[in-house]
Amino acid sequence: MANNKNIYKPIKAVVEKVIEESPLIKTFVLVPEEEFSFQTGEFIELTLDGIGEAPFTPSSSPLVKERFDVTIMKAGYVTDLMHKLQPGAVLGVRGPYGRGYPVEKFVDKEVVILSGGCGLAPIRSLLYMLIDMKDKLRKVTLCYGSKTPQDCIYKPLFSQLNRIENFSTLRTVDFADKYWEEHVGVATVLLDNIEIDLPNAVAVVCGPPVMMKYGTFKLLEMGFPEHLIYLSMEKNMSCGLGKCGHCMLGGYFVCRDGPVFTYDEIKEQPHIW
Amino acid sequence: MAKYYELEGKAWDAALAGILGSYRVYAPVMGVKALDYELITAAHIPHIVYNTPKPVVPLKTFFLPVKENVVAGSTQIHPTVIMGIPGCDLGALDLLDKFFLDEEYPDHYYASRRRATILIGTDCYSLADHCHCTSYGLNPYPENHLDMSVNRLNGHIWLSVHSEKGEQLLSGMLGSVPSEGLDEVPEEIKQIRQRIKRELEKKNRKLPNYQETTDAVLNAEPSVWHTFSRKCVACGACATICPTCTCFLLIDRPGFEKVRQMDACQYPGFERTAGGEDPLKKLEDRFRNRYLCKYLYRPEKYDALACTGCGRCIETCIGKIDKNELLVELTK
Repeated sequence: MANNKNIYKPIKAVVEKVIEESPLIKTFVLVPEEEFSFQTGEFIELTLDGIGEAPFTPSSSPLVKERFDVTIMKAGYVTDLMHKLQPGAVLGVRGPYGRGYPVEKFVDKEVVILSGGCGLAPIRSLLYMLIDMKDKLRKVTLCYGSKTPQDCIYKPLFSQLNRIENFSTLRTVDFADKYWEEHVGVATVLLDNIEIDLPNAVAVVCGPPVMMKYGTFKLLEMGFPEHLIYLSMEKNMSCGLGKCGHCMLGGYFVCRDGPVFTYDEIKEQPHIW
Repeated sequence: MAKYYELEGKAWDAALAGILGSYRVYAPVMGVKALDYELITAAHIPHIVYNTPKPVVPLKTFFLPVKENVVAGSTQIHPTVIMGIPGCDLGALDLLDKFFLDEEYPDHYYASRRRATILIGTDCYSLADHCHCTSYGLNPYPENHLDMSVNRLNGHIWLSVHSEKGEQLLSGMLGSVPSEGLDEVPEEIKQIRQRIKRELEKKNRKLPNYQETTDAVLNAEPSVWHTFSRKCVACGACATICPTCTCFLLIDRPGFEKVRQMDACQYPGFERTAGGEDPLKKLEDRFRNRYLCKYLYRPEKYDALACTGCGRCIETCIGKIDKNELLVELTK
């Protein structure tokens, strides 16, 4: 048998640091106790001992091997309890699972990224990879939306990206405060504010379902081909192994065939958004 | 080619009694209401029912217990023999094996149970309500995945060996594999096979075949699902009793242990995520999903039947939803 490991048994990882990103979102820096590595866009199952398990895509660079970040939004029972974790806490990690971003296909391309809310977590990992291969890319544009300025995560990331040649960022919020100087409105409107060399561009979308849906429609309207729109599909990936059935997207197991799909791969499946 | 050996009924019973110490032997025995696999003791041997279709639970329950600790549970499985398995349940192993024994993520618990188990198939000499294996290209007799077959005829037993595991078992039981045997199924059993096939085909003549069913399910008007799911109470019995349904939940236990508990896509919240999104929120969508899974998703992905035509889902449905009636309706 090719794989002799127990597929259900997690390895342990210790929380090294907790970073508060927004009122609802925290980043946990984890140090795995065994060898662990991932490709950008692949996801892991994180176990809170005896409580529950949930899927997350690491938000750090895959090139860093000793530790990795997981950015978690309080969204339910398990994540609420995860938010109470302090440095030193031990978590279980299974994976990495699935099919991540095919960065090799982005070579010589302009990458347009549309992201919202906590959907910036997997995108940050992707951006670190894109920074690493910046000489092979035409341009990278990040369009990011959050509810309010306080909900905007990874604040230092934006200035870091803006300092890199051919990288630029645009931000919008649904509800601005008096200090906000960038765009106001839903994330998709940012796409009207950028110049795209369509024949050489690919698009990446990761965010809440409503943004994924209208973002994709907007990109299609702008002329992006269906096979060049990469979507990170979020489903109830419970086992991560293509077995438990909870993340079925039509005939696909999102955990194994995804979570990154091109729009043309999934457009015919029911209930995609 | 398997050989067929004849044995006196009493000699077989004695040989069976001889292995009860080394194997857990399960065989169909008539219960108060239904035929079910029982753990056989010497007292059960005369009551074993031969050559009947479908025991009430499918074969999968031996390999996928309702609940199992898949981190700390033991993979040391007691050697087991299962007798009286009909062709439909053996046919289900096509999908189950591809699903749980895949190279990248093999399920060690399923694998160890499969390894420790010897499968003895049987011919169906009669039909039960809702049997429709032939509609999907299977036969009412065992063809694949069996180690041995045992059929009773006129008080005698006809045995055949189909694998090394089967050969070892039979030599252990009889001292050695008999030297003389037939090269093919005895004529009388052959005639029964033909008769049962004819009866099945006649009974299910209106039922679409697998490909026609796939097309019909895919192209059905949304109103069909709405209408047929009105009687569904989302109890999940159809999935629980299905020989090929595999969905499960992972439940966490202290010590980073996980319990795999069989689940069903008919339950509310099956696909619900933490944020509250629930693609299969509506009952009729969950209902439709099961048909799409059986006739489109699984066969397409695994090149294996995901419905073997056993008809148990029809018998178990407390809403009295008849899958076959629905499929006939869809192809009218």
